[in-house]
Amino acid sequence: MSTTPAQPTLPSEEKAIIDSFAKLGDMAKVAFARKKRIKMMVLRENLVETAKFVRDELKFDHCTNVTGTDFPKDNQLEITYHFGSIEGDGLRRIILAVACRIPSADPKLPSIIDVYPSVNYHERETAEMIGCVFEGHPNLSRLLLPEDWNDIPPMLKAYRLPGRLEEG
Amino acid sequence: MEAKKGPAAARDGPGLSILVGKTKQIIQEVITDPVTYLANWGRKYSLWPVHLETACCSIEWGALSGPRFDAERYGTLEAFGSLRQCDLVVVHGTVTRKMAPRLRWIYDQMPEPKWVIAMGACAITGGVYFDSYNVLPGVDQVVPVDVYVPGCPPRPEELIDAIILLQDKIRKSSIR
Repeated sequence: MSTTPAQPTLPSEEKAIIDSFAKLGDMAKVAFARKKRIKMMVLRENLVETAKFVRDELKFDHCTNVTGTDFPKDNQLEITYHFGSIEGDGLRRIILAVACRIPSADPKLPSIIDVYPSVNYHERETAEMIGCVFEGHPNLSRLLLPEDWNDIPPMLKAYRLPGRLEEG
Repeated sequence: MEAKKGPAAARDGPGLSILVGKTKQIIQEVITDPVTYLANWGRKYSLWPVHLETACCSIEWGALSGPRFDAERYGTLEAFGSLRQCDLVVVHGTVTRKMAPRLRWIYDQMPEPKWVIAMGACAITGGVYFDSYNVLPGVDQVVPVDVYVPGCPPRPEELIDAIILLQDKIRKSSIR
């Protein structure tokens, strides 16, 4: 999470996005900024506010994807929201990622379904694949896994396939 | 009269019962072979497949029933009706653990006699997904498979070969 400065060759739209994130102050930090790709790190208390800011101020009008990553060395999960824009001027090529690190022992995150309703199924999938609980989600039931699934979430690094030997 | 009845019954009784027993056997032998032949002949040229299009192998099955390869000339009809009128399941590719109970459910609804063709590497062993948390390592864990067609995906010629193999198997099978 080293804060890299904006590259001098960055196009003006990306620069404008990073500059406007200064309004949030300490709430969001730039993880990296490249052409077409910007990633911001937020804390989980500030996630909903950041999402509202991204929707209202930056004109990113839809959420493309919600993914989860497991970092077992840090005992952390990283939930990443990808935002895209159809209406925004010159923003159509940019994907803005807003990531949030949460401890594995307490995997809870406020749902942003009130800000972006399209995250409904994405949050359900992430919840069952990585084991993160999205608080405030109306229907966090099983979506893709088999009905008789009785194991830890399969995308965690600690998951082992039953009947397979350990390597080494 | 009464004295005569004893030996006569002793002479005719076993003979008659042997004759009746033999007749039954003879009639069975005379009838079973043609009936078996006729039934298997009818069955092998009217295979109605259920398409379980779980993965990309179904494209090749589409090519098989298209005009270039034209599997209908071998006697597999393109069935677009209910699966309760079908007698062949063709599993096209990867079957996930969530899909496996549905496959068994489809198989159980079909009337006897019924056959299964496992098409492609994924249906036989799981293919490249054999290590996955969600893919069944072979559909023969769920349903009995008659013909395995290897390939990723198999060519339509191999599918024609599989149909002919299955027809051979039906021709040699016995009916009850």
